[in-house]
Amino acid sequence: MEEDRTPTGSIRLAIESRLENIPMVGVSVSRLCSLIPLDEIEASKVELCVVEALNNSIVHAYENLEGHEVETVFSFYPDKLVVHVCDAGKPMDERILRECALFPPDLDRLDIGDIPECGRGLGIIKSIMDSVEYRTKAGKNCLIMKKEIRTDV
Amino acid sequence: MEIRKETLEKATIVKLIGRLDASSSKKVKEAVKDLLDTNVRNVVFDMEGIDFIDSTGLGSLVAALRSVSKQGGEIKIAGLGERVRVIFELTRLHRIFDIYDNGAEAAASFS
Repeated sequence: MEEDRTPTGSIRLAIESRLENIPMVGVSVSRLCSLIPLDEIEASKVELCVVEALNNSIVHAYENLEGHEVETVFSFYPDKLVVHVCDAGKPMDERILRECALFPPDLDRLDIGDIPECGRGLGIIKSIMDSVEYRTKAGKNCLIMKKEIRTDV
Repeated sequence: MEIRKETLEKATIVKLIGRLDASSSKKVKEAVKDLLDTNVRNVVFDMEGIDFIDSTGLGSLVAALRSVSKQGGEIKIAGLGERVRVIFELTRLHRIFDIYDNGAEAAASFS
């Protein structure tokens, strides 16, 4: 999808917009990572990014309404993996992705009441993936996450 | 996700088993509310059985920390597996929770 090369392998996983369906995609993605040189911890991090993207689609784009489709396309290339998570719900303001904060090193200096309960999802994705883009086209919103595969380790 | 509670002399250990995510995190909030309603103030979350946590799961632990602290209690975390520990470290939450190797050690640390 929008890559100039044909992936080595690609799979499309579609679920109905229910939070209970997300683990099926997450576990599948983690297992798919065993097909490429990613260790268990890195595979778990990729799973987490996909789960966070799916959470956002269901909770924010579809506002927790069931009966909609969320699509995950997992593709791998010799040097990277690319995951698209797409919905047809309310688009995200791109500034949220651009401006979402990574995690402050001095978190322990905050008062407990000032530590946020939510809003970590996109920060997690940006911390783990090598690139993250958000595109909206013809009513379809896709979060596109890319991670390089390092074969020299 | 499954939750099992064990009451010890100094604290209640809440064992979490399975995935702590957006579909299960509500159970943590309910468990903490039940504990506070029965005047339990010292709580250990034993996470040895957790094999996956997402941001909503982390948020439920932060919410628990806030509500228990507000009542004068304390929350300690125990038994983080490597996959969960790296997410605590990534989000820096290991800096705000007291983390122990296992539930018994965490429970014994309450004065």
